[in-house]
Amino acid sequence: MTDDLEQLYQSTYTAVVRFLYRKVWDAERAEDLAQEVFVRALSHRPEKPRAWVFAVAANLARDEARAAMRRKRHLTLLKGDPIAQPALSPAADDSVERDEQMASVHEALNTLTPRDREILLLWDAGLSYPEIAAQTGLAVGAVGTTLARARRRLVDAHDRQHSRTGTDAAHS
Amino acid sequence: MPTTGSTRERGPMRHIPEDELHAYLDQALSRTQCVEIESHLAECPSCRGMRDGIAALRDRTTALLAKLAPPARPLPPYERLSRVAAEVATQRRRRLHLLAWAASLVVAVGLGWSASSFTRDSAARGAARAVARVSGPAEAGSATPSGLPTTPAPPAAMAQAGQSARARATDPERPGNAVRSSTSTPALAARSSRSSSAGHPTARSPQAMAAAASDSARAVREATLRVLSPTPTLELTNLDRSGRQEDLEGMWRTMPWDGTKTAAGEVPHIDGLPVVQVQVQSGDQSASAVTVVAQQLASGQVIRTIEGPATDVSQILSRHGLGEVDSAMSADGSGRLLPDGGHAMAMQVGDRMLAITGDLPSDSLRAMIRRLNAELRSK
Repeated sequence: MTDDLEQLYQSTYTAVVRFLYRKVWDAERAEDLAQEVFVRALSHRPEKPRAWVFAVAANLARDEARAAMRRKRHLTLLKGDPIAQPALSPAADDSVERDEQMASVHEALNTLTPRDREILLLWDAGLSYPEIAAQTGLAVGAVGTTLARARRRLVDAHDRQHSRTGTDAAHS
Repeated sequence: MPTTGSTRERGPMRHIPEDELHAYLDQALSRTQCVEIESHLAECPSCRGMRDGIAALRDRTTALLAKLAPPARPLPPYERLSRVAAEVATQRRRRLHLLAWAASLVVAVGLGWSASSFTRDSAARGAARAVARVSGPAEAGSATPSGLPTTPAPPAAMAQAGQSARARATDPERPGNAVRSSTSTPALAARSSRSSSAGHPTARSPQAMAAAASDSARAVREATLRVLSPTPTLELTNLDRSGRQEDLEGMWRTMPWDGTKTAAGEVPHIDGLPVVQVQVQSGDQSASAVTVVAQQLASGQVIRTIEGPATDVSQILSRHGLGEVDSAMSADGSGRLLPDGGHAMAMQVGDRMLAITGDLPSDSLRAMIRRLNAELRSK
């Protein structure tokens, strides 16, 4: 049993971190939460560990988002103005480019509905249709439909951004 | 061929829906469904085109999402996680034990109360004794009211005893941590385990939790030791973590036992116990050397005898969280009680200091250090 979990840890830890990162947008926090997920798995010994791990990760990320929202609201009340996005730290060119690419995908992902986004991220994390269905309450048959829509929207939103910046560049 | 004919018939009629092609490419369909789709694709160029488009869309999605990844970092060792999980489990068990202990205390108090209604007088005497035992010398006067034997209700007396213990636990004037830590460390332990469940199983938390756990266990022991020592004549210091050699700063040499004896003359130690380790920190003159002798009891416990210039020894002691050892102690070795019940005793003779540390009841340590001191002075 321990061996099963260890194997799962080796094979999915990175995917869990990535999954969490796409929800909390903080690499260290994502790692902390991922380790928490596996520590919990060790004491719970779930029957379907892979699905369980992502379900717990989704819950932790949701709690985290709620807490962040509370903090943000509180700060907004205090300051009376919206929270500024954290400034990108000046870094090497490739890292800046990487950050820009990431920001544009992030933005495109934000145009999806929460459900579509969740299903797309679960699929990308390596869950099967039945696992996604079990976690989201969707019918297995509807997973394909949702994924079809989510993929199209993500790519469309991303392409729209780029054609926009392309037009801007052409105008200037 | 009938099968080809039927496919040809069906092909243009029923194109494959988009979501089904996604599911097909995601390998989420049954074998039968796959066969069906593949045979249709073989016949239908428009569905093939659609399939290729969806495959490209799939790949682009994957490529885009791949950019949303934190910087790659090495996988933390699995052993670390299982260690944290084990710690968490231990914490949970320990809390249950603490609960059981508290419950048994409640039962004990309850029994005392009901017994009192039958034998009021004897119970009153018992409570008076309990108060005398619970309150240390400092509080003995205040915590034992002169009118106590005539106080009719023993639970009141027990409440008073509890109050005196509580007063000591919360009194900020007392730098001692024995009783106080018995109340504060379980909270700390609970906090640390909670914070880990909130998602901080970082590298330091297992150690912090382990420390908190052992602290709380020790605090309970120390609390009893503390209240049971009514007339302390020696200094109690908080050198319980004597096994941690990294706390001994400076240049230390580990020496063979025989070599030490001949080189530095008589090294203070307990006769008749096997010597585990001898460490010597040599100063400029041999007179300023500090020696630490580790000896093992039959139980496996290790006690350490530390001897050296008073300032050096007290520095070692203070590095263990003791704070300053009062160096103005009288030269005849009769110290005063530092208000914390630790597992170390220190005694100053002139400008030298002798300390003994170990996870032993304080009266055992006291007896040992008295004997050692007597031996040293007779030489």
